[in-house]
This record gives sequence, C-alpha cells and structure tokens, in this order.
Amino acid sequence: MQTSVALEAKDYRSDLKPIWCPGCGDFGVVSALYRALANIGRPPHEIALVSGIGCSSRIPGYTTAYGFNSVHGRALPIAQGIKLANPDLLVLVAGGDGDGFSIGGGHVPHVIRRNIDLTYIVMDNQIYGLTKGQLSPTSPRGAHTVTSPDGSLEDPVNPLLYVLGYGAHFVAQSTPADMPGLTAVLEEAIRFPGFSFVNVQSPCVTFGQPEQQLKAHKAGMKSLASIGYDSSDRVRAMDLAQTYGKELYTGVFYRNPNPPPTYESLVRQRQRHLQAKALPRERILDLFVQH
Amino acid sequence: MSVQGIDFSTLTLRDALDLAILIEDEAQERYQEFAHQMELHHTPEAAAFFRFMASNEAKHGAQLSERRTQLFGAAPRTVTRAMLWDVEAPDYDRARAFMTPREAMQAALQSEQKAHAFFVAALPQVTDPEAKALFAELREEEVEHQELVTKELAKLPPEPAGSPDDFADEPTGQ
Repeated sequence: MQTSVALEAKDYRSDLKPIWCPGCGDFGVVSALYRALANIGRPPHEIALVSGIGCSSRIPGYTTAYGFNSVHGRALPIAQGIKLANPDLLVLVAGGDGDGFSIGGGHVPHVIRRNIDLTYIVMDNQIYGLTKGQLSPTSPRGAHTVTSPDGSLEDPVNPLLYVLGYGAHFVAQSTPADMPGLTAVLEEAIRFPGFSFVNVQSPCVTFGQPEQQLKAHKAGMKSLASIGYDSSDRVRAMDLAQTYGKELYTGVFYRNPNPPPTYESLVRQRQRHLQAKALPRERILDLFVQH
Repeated sequence: MSVQGIDFSTLTLRDALDLAILIEDEAQERYQEFAHQMELHHTPEAAAFFRFMASNEAKHGAQLSERRTQLFGAAPRTVTRAMLWDVEAPDYDRARAFMTPREAMQAALQSEQKAHAFFVAALPQVTDPEAKALFAELREEEVEHQELVTKELAKLPPEPAGSPDDFADEPTGQ
C-alpha cells in the first residue's frame, strides 16, 4: 500500500554525516533528493535506495530510506529484483558514471527495455574519485589524471545518448549549481511511471577537471525550460544529447507522453493469466500423462 | 532564485517573521554541516569559525522566534523550508578541505552579503507596512553581520605570499 504523508526534507536525512570532500557536488544531490522525496510524500519505509560502489554510492547511508550499498556496477539488477519482489516500493538507484557506464554498463540496456518503474540517478563527475582520480567512461578526451599523465585517448561515453538510444522513456540532466531545477527534475523523474534516468553533473572537487566545477556550471548552464524546449520528441532529444560534454543543458530532455506499461505490471498481468489457466494442484501430474 | 512560491506582495508580518526564522535555521544547519565536514577533514580552525557562525545564526533565529511567539503564539506557519534555497546559507560549493580561516570567513561574508541582497530585492515588493518594517530591520542587521565577519577577518594575520594553487598537485580540481 502506498501512503502519502506530510514530511519534510529532514525526515529523509539520516544521522550519518557524509564523509564526502567539502564542496563535493553530491551534497547538493542528496539535499535535492531529500526535498524531492518530501514533495512526493512517500514515507522512508516505502522507499528503497540501491547503489553500487563509489563516492556517490554512499548516498543510501545518508537517507532514512531502506538502503542497499551493493557491489560495483550491480545496483540496477538488484534494484530490479527489489521492485519485482515488492512493486509497491518506491525504488531509486544511485551511483557514479563509472559504476553505471563502465562495469555496470551491461545492465543499462535491460533495465531500459524492460521499463521497470525505478529512477536511476547518476552522479556524473567524469572521474573515478573514490580511488583517487582515474579516467572514467565519461572523462573527456585529453583529460589528464595521475594514471593518465599524457591525457585520455578515448572519446567519452555519452550517458544521455546511451539511454535515449536504448529507448528510455524519461531522460533528464541537471546540476547542483541549480538546486531548484535539480529538485524539480528529481521529483518529476521519481513520479514518472516507468524507468527514468537523471544524469547529474556533480563535480569532484578533489580530482575533477577545473572546467567541470560548479562555478563553471553556474556560468554555462542552460535551462531547457527557459528556451521553450519540447520534451516529447525523442529524435530532438537525441540531437540535443549530442551537446553532452560541450554544453550543459538542464531539465527534461525526453519524456514519453504515452509511456508503455511497466515490466512489473506486465508480469502481474501474466501471473493472473497463468493462474486463471492453472490446473488445480492435484491435477498437475495430468500434464505429464501420455494418452 | 533563493525562494520559491512566496508572494511578497501579500506577505504578512507573521509570514515575514517565519521566513526570517527559517532563513536563520537554514544558515545555522549549513554552518553546522560545514563545521562537521571541516572536523572530519582535519581543518580545525575553519571548523571552529563555522561553529561560531552556527551559534550566531541560532541566536538570531531564537530572537526572531521569541518575537514571533509573543506576537502570534502557536499560530501555524504557511511559509515552509521547502520554499527557501540557500538565502543566507553558504552554498555547498564554498567549503573545501584544508580551507584557511580567511577562506571560511570570506564564505561567511559572502553569505551575509547574499542575505542582504535578498532583503534589498524583496523590500520593494512587500506591501504590508509591518512586514516591510521587519524586512528593513533585517536588511540593516545583515549589514551588522557583515561587519561582524569583517572584524573577524581583520584579526587574522596577513596571508603568506604566493597562491594556494602553487601547492596543488596536478591534476586536482579547484
């Protein structure tokens, strides 16, 4: 049973204090998440927040929701299992760009094509921060790190194009440089009936590139709402997604106006159908009797 | 934007007091968070300063709450924390591990300036005379708060020569 009560952001904040580096973008993300959840009003015990491994994956511990800080790259399959076992839970997934698009990349197409009703929040900082600064799948070409002193030779993964290409029905991007916008996008994504994806440009102040810090975001971000953008066109969204890494557009890139049924609703429908056709237990062996 | 869903033209004195209290609460919480972050990241002087700021914000909030109780008792609030966005609270991005006391004070000074700018911008929109008088008072108080922080800054020894960037290992972020 889903309940909606009057809750405040502080009701979602656990007593555990974050150990992130001061100035980390993830402080803004978790703060926006508290607010978004308060606006939605689902009590913490009806929420499951699953993460992988990385700085951003510590986030479940900082909320009062049921948290599962799982293994590297495997938050999505675990979250899908949770949702299928208990479809009434509000299921959120959080992690970094490495967790999501390197080791965890193989799970992304399947959660999208199933359209399971969960929200995947990627805190994209273009670096492996927890392990002290190695290139990640979204690091720009030419990025220098301690382990790549001569610069990256690879083009980055484009998370927005990736998920749009696999058919996600809700794709958005934001940054903690715009807290009201980030909160609104998270709330809209969580409310969306089906799989939703939010790429949050959340900089690493210790190992990230200087031009990717919040100061740069504040100067360069462009709100899609302010340019009258229509988020119902997938092709337009894919075109816009190609600005990833060059421009910082914030807001909803794509929202399917007619989302298809979720996987768990189809599973329940199938279960009911099979149960209607099922033989009584005492007659099951009849299926194996040769006439 | 620093507030959402507030129509200043219809703001009553009670709403204005509630808004002011919530602004102080928000700032107090943020300074407490910063103090904890600094302690965790072995930056004790900045931590001590942020604790000082948190206690100042708590004091201001308590004074405003006392006034609110005297005037309006336990009347419910219509203004909520969900409407505020770091009006006086320093942005999360202002904190850094190993920040100097000077940098901590500069962050606080910027926050007081931000709060002052908020009241300056809001004042022309407020029509209720009592709410207007309160906002004018709060605007002036923010000037006093800036002076308080500036006095603390003046007590600091001069900065050493050179830029902190000279000591940063490449390719760390700013």
